[in-house]
Amino acid sequence: MRIIIIGAGEIGYNIADILSKEANDVVIIDRNEEQLKMVSENLDVQTIVGSGSSPEVLKKASLDNSDMVVAVTDSDETNIVACLLAATQSRAPLRIARIRNPELNGNSALFSKNHINVDLSINPEREAVKNAVNLMEFPGASEIIDFARGRVKLVGFNVGAGCTVLGKKLREIREMTGGKKVLIVSITRGEKLIVPIGDSVIKENDYMFTVAESTEVRNTLRFFGKDMDPPRKAIIMGGGIMGLMLSELLEKKGIAVKIIEKRQGRCETLSSRLNRVVVLHGDGTGQELLKEENIQDTDYFIAVTNDEGANILGALLAKQLGAKKVISRINRADYAHIIPTVGIDGVINPRHAAISKILHYIRKGKIISATPLYDERAEIFEVVALPTSEITNKSLKNIKFPRGTIVGAILREDEVIIPGGDSVVVSGDHVIIFTLRSAITQVEKILTVKPDYFG
Amino acid sequence: MNIKHICHILGAFLFFLGLTILLPIGCSVYFREGDFKALLLSLVITSATGALFYFFFKPREEQISLTHKEGFVIVTAGWILAAAFGSLPYLLYGALPTFVDAFFESMSGFTTTGASVIANIESIPHGILLWRSLTQWLGGMGIIVLSIAILPILGVGGMQLYRAELPGPVKDKLKPRIAETARVLWIVYVIISTVEFVLLLFGGMSVFDSLCHTFTTMATGGFSTSDSSIAHFHSAYIDAVITVFMLTAGINFSLHYSLLTGNFETFFRNRELRFFLAVALVGMILITINLRLNFFNDMMKSFRIASFQVASIITTTGFTTDNFANWPALSKIILLLLMFAGGSAGSTGGGIKCLRILLIIKHGYGELYRLVHPHAVTTVKLGKEIVPAEIMGSIWGFFILYLSVTVIATLIMSLLGVDMMTAFSSVAATIGNIGPGFGMVGPASTYAEIPYCGKWILSFCMLVGRLEIYTVIVLLIPEFWRK
Repeated sequence: MRIIIIGAGEIGYNIADILSKEANDVVIIDRNEEQLKMVSENLDVQTIVGSGSSPEVLKKASLDNSDMVVAVTDSDETNIVACLLAATQSRAPLRIARIRNPELNGNSALFSKNHINVDLSINPEREAVKNAVNLMEFPGASEIIDFARGRVKLVGFNVGAGCTVLGKKLREIREMTGGKKVLIVSITRGEKLIVPIGDSVIKENDYMFTVAESTEVRNTLRFFGKDMDPPRKAIIMGGGIMGLMLSELLEKKGIAVKIIEKRQGRCETLSSRLNRVVVLHGDGTGQELLKEENIQDTDYFIAVTNDEGANILGALLAKQLGAKKVISRINRADYAHIIPTVGIDGVINPRHAAISKILHYIRKGKIISATPLYDERAEIFEVVALPTSEITNKSLKNIKFPRGTIVGAILREDEVIIPGGDSVVVSGDHVIIFTLRSAITQVEKILTVKPDYFG
Repeated sequence: MNIKHICHILGAFLFFLGLTILLPIGCSVYFREGDFKALLLSLVITSATGALFYFFFKPREEQISLTHKEGFVIVTAGWILAAAFGSLPYLLYGALPTFVDAFFESMSGFTTTGASVIANIESIPHGILLWRSLTQWLGGMGIIVLSIAILPILGVGGMQLYRAELPGPVKDKLKPRIAETARVLWIVYVIISTVEFVLLLFGGMSVFDSLCHTFTTMATGGFSTSDSSIAHFHSAYIDAVITVFMLTAGINFSLHYSLLTGNFETFFRNRELRFFLAVALVGMILITINLRLNFFNDMMKSFRIASFQVASIITTTGFTTDNFANWPALSKIILLLLMFAGGSAGSTGGGIKCLRILLIIKHGYGELYRLVHPHAVTTVKLGKEIVPAEIMGSIWGFFILYLSVTVIATLIMSLLGVDMMTAFSSVAATIGNIGPGFGMVGPASTYAEIPYCGKWILSFCMLVGRLEIYTVIVLLIPEFWRK
């Protein structure tokens, strides 16, 4: 596939990274030469200096031969114009734009086929907020990803000191759960990604992903010593776009929300937009203010300002003052793996959310949904087993999956099967597969339909 | 720096290099001149060593990318290994008795210099001669670039290698993928080579001679199959064909690509191309007039000889049709200066490259302009595009390093007891990848008489010149190896 990416920022860079390593031809356009230099140093892609909304530049990137345009610059206008040009000047079937302005985004008629022709508009902040709210429903988990419309969830969490399974082998755990449907798909220890086998031992501070039926998530978390009641009180630090969206959503869920914002003017806007939410004017990293607002009784403290340093410090302070759970917004992937080690319980990462949404969309087709994990080192996706695919009608242990690939769940009509080696995939099943990035192409090959399918 | 990974890649590269000896082996089977064994043995040794390295140094996990530094090491080491293993056919057959001679000949081949230490070329069997020409053709577009195009293991880290090998200050990708870019360049190279091959056949050359001369013209190499170079064929047609193709090979191959894909405007509007052709034309006219007045007394002959020689020197090929050592002083000085100019960036030619010279001239003029208008904003522009200060800096750095290496090598050469003209021109002709110089290394003689140490120095100059100074010299500074 030939893909044009406009905007070489964090999102553009990471999408390019993932797609170029999967044997796609990628062209990146950006106005910033420095940024492009960094890209061409590290990735096997073509770079073009110029504006993505210029027809001349797009022509240079041979727009007419491309299969997809992903416009992810900071400017909504540029992204929209780029998609518009792509729609009029090429046969590019897929157009994805990053649109941050909620007003534009809300007006979905704007993106219908008759108007601007954007196939998918992504708002990174909104995606991130959705993920965060999902996460807050299960306070024990650090990450929750939905599959099969939420029936199966991938749950990521840190193994704490009091956990009963410490030092146990996975084989033994299977016996302890007594047939309950839990499957550990991966373990991260420090920076190392471990592919779990029966003999793997669980240690303190391991970060694990398990697959569980949605009704079982709470039990699973309890089993690993991660049980907590749903939250009632939350304090949000930062009243920007994300803070506002988050307040609105939490308010709907019946959670008592307080929001702290530094700028007087913004506070006024917030209070006009929000009804029951308490808007506080002040600095979220100030002890006095936090104490005044009963931080010790708060279930969640969520720092979502634009300054990730302040977010991390604010979250740590809140934790120290007694907030039960703290979540911090970060933008840079580099920080992702240090966050759990400093005591922050969860991360909101708009960039990551956007990438995951885009990938999800690109892999659409036989693959229903895909999510990158661990800084894009691994990916989990949901596929439909087609009658002639190599995975169909075989027991799992007879399928030649590359190392590090695990089938996390099989969904057959209303039934959720957490599989073992003897499980068999039947045509029409939805299968959830966890795999390392290095093996994605191989896995895709296994999943692809054999030629006779078309015959 | 991951030494294991480097050795792994170099192993793959050597294995592949060994396989290219199959072509001369085929030739030796046809001509039956006793070089079959030597060539076959060379293939086996090279490929076996490569395979050994490849499997012995298999990295534990798949390495995804190469760092800059690894890129420099792989490219430089790759070229040295190519020259070392490429010398095997000469050594094993006995065409050249000592390793230093064989290494010199082989390095001269891969770097497309064309300086030879073989005194009597006609006595060498066809298989070895074909290998000698083939090394130039492989080195012309770049052996590493060829490997990137063919070996998938270089796919991802390929950009670092591509940049370290391809000549010129700015390195653009023609295609989104590096392997595809390399493939496109090689395809263009093969297409133009095929055209020349056919045209030479029309001129009455044998298949063998056409093939060898196509290889060495397209690579701007300059090895011939006869002692008297192209003069041997006594044909104005062949002179003309080779002149045109030397100039073609001296043009940026990405421009040829635009031409072949129907993008004429990009081709003809290119500033460097215009500058390159203008310099060549001025050189040809001046030398024609000089020769007409003081040497030949025949206008047509003067033009034919002069244009051939200018094309040969400016593109750093090094073919000759007349012994220019006997020419009047003006012509000789012009040729000596053209040795430094070289071909275009991204061509197979060596030297400083026209693009750099053009930009340096523009920069110099900009400085003068600023003396007149102290507040003027002066930017160096190439066509419509501004050349970033960073690139200007790297061009000046290149220029200074090029001259410094030339000066130091000249000093060492003169210390070894050769005369002044030989010392200077042998260095200029090897660092510029040209071949023939003046004095002891003039067009009528060979490099055989250069002292032992001198051959090593000149081999080094050839490598430094082909890899455009930075890639090799950076390995020599201690900072590079500091952890």
